[in-house]
Amino acid sequence: MQRLIAFIEHNLHILLLVFLQVVSAFLIFNLNPYQKATFTQFASSVTGRFHAISFNVTNYFDLKKQNIALQEQIANQFKDRYPQSLNYLNDTIAIQDSINNQLFEAIPVHVIYNTSFKVNNVFIINKGKNHGIKKNMGVISPQGVAGIVLESNDNFSTVMSLLNSEMKIIPYINGQEYFTELIWNNSNPNHLTLKGINKLENIQLGDTVYTGNSSLLFPRGIPIGSITKIKENPKSQYAEMELKTVTNFRNLAYAFVIVNRDYESLNNLFLND
Amino acid sequence: MIKATIYWIFIICFQILILNHLDISTYIYPQVFIILLIAFPLHIKKSYQIIGAFSLGLFIDFLVYTPGIHTSACLWLMGLRMLILDRQDLVEQTNNRWSYSIQNVGFVPFSYTALILVFFYHFYVLWLEGIGHINVSHLLITGVSSSLLSLLIIGIFEALSIRQIE
Repeated sequence: MQRLIAFIEHNLHILLLVFLQVVSAFLIFNLNPYQKATFTQFASSVTGRFHAISFNVTNYFDLKKQNIALQEQIANQFKDRYPQSLNYLNDTIAIQDSINNQLFEAIPVHVIYNTSFKVNNVFIINKGKNHGIKKNMGVISPQGVAGIVLESNDNFSTVMSLLNSEMKIIPYINGQEYFTELIWNNSNPNHLTLKGINKLENIQLGDTVYTGNSSLLFPRGIPIGSITKIKENPKSQYAEMELKTVTNFRNLAYAFVIVNRDYESLNNLFLND
Repeated sequence: MIKATIYWIFIICFQILILNHLDISTYIYPQVFIILLIAFPLHIKKSYQIIGAFSLGLFIDFLVYTPGIHTSACLWLMGLRMLILDRQDLVEQTNNRWSYSIQNVGFVPFSYTALILVFFYHFYVLWLEGIGHINVSHLLITGVSSSLLSLLIIGIFEALSIRQIE
């Protein structure tokens, strides 16, 4: 303490000089309009740059949080977007009124393991039974269809990727559902084959393929891919088409598990039928 | 004491009423009142010297309405003066409670100190007044010409005071 007092006593004039300079600076930049404007401009330029740098740095560290927030936002939008997706069922099958309100929910998940080069590709997501995920639930990426849940344990689930020879989805093209199947033939990553469509059907290159009305796993209108090639065999009345998936399975990181609240009751009805 | 007070009032009035209204050129802006700080008595404690510089600068600022500019410049000038004077042998002058003048410390040390302080003060004030939009050539010309004129006037005052004592 004595040393501190001695130090202050010895350097009092320097401390005083600094303090009074601060007072002067306050007077200069507060009471002189020109200096005030210059200082304000300079200060805003410095703080602007600082904030830009700070934003870049913190934004980088904050990406994970932002992604989660975006996923939740998309999940909420999803809820609002597909409330009437299976409304047609109201007319054909006796379904409880509650279905009118909301049939699907989306659970945001992270893809923690993924393959895209095998014959039967799967990916693993970071949520399972504890989060309400069960077998046979549809999984979509932010772009479109990604797969179907194969198995779930408490905290993780294995999802059959669209790039799986066992995967079968009924396509919906140009407002029409085709009761054929999309197949992955392991020839080209992110490319599926579509067989069994009549050559006379008006399907063009670039047409988008969506999920149809018949699926209980996906709401209607989720993009699957777009037609990139149409092969016509003169000996057959059917064309073979190739489509590129909208989901890029090589960098699949985030997805949503689609929960159809009434899957089991609807499925039972179908089975009884 | 009275003599010193009259001297201070005279210098401040000379600065405010005459030099500040000189309309010789836009490049001439002499600040002669700083002779009061350059010649500040040597025996006064450093912290009081700082307060003296602050008070004088603030007073000039109020008179010419440049809040803080002369206050800041006077404070730096006094700090710089302390650094310079610490390197000079002024024990005798300090013990005799003399002021810092040509007569008391000699022509060369005084001229050296005054040259540095006058140039520093003018350039600092000009920089502070034009901060943000400095025209370097204008700053250089105004700084040098104003400093030289101030040094000339300070020299005349010093010569007059020597003659008066003789």
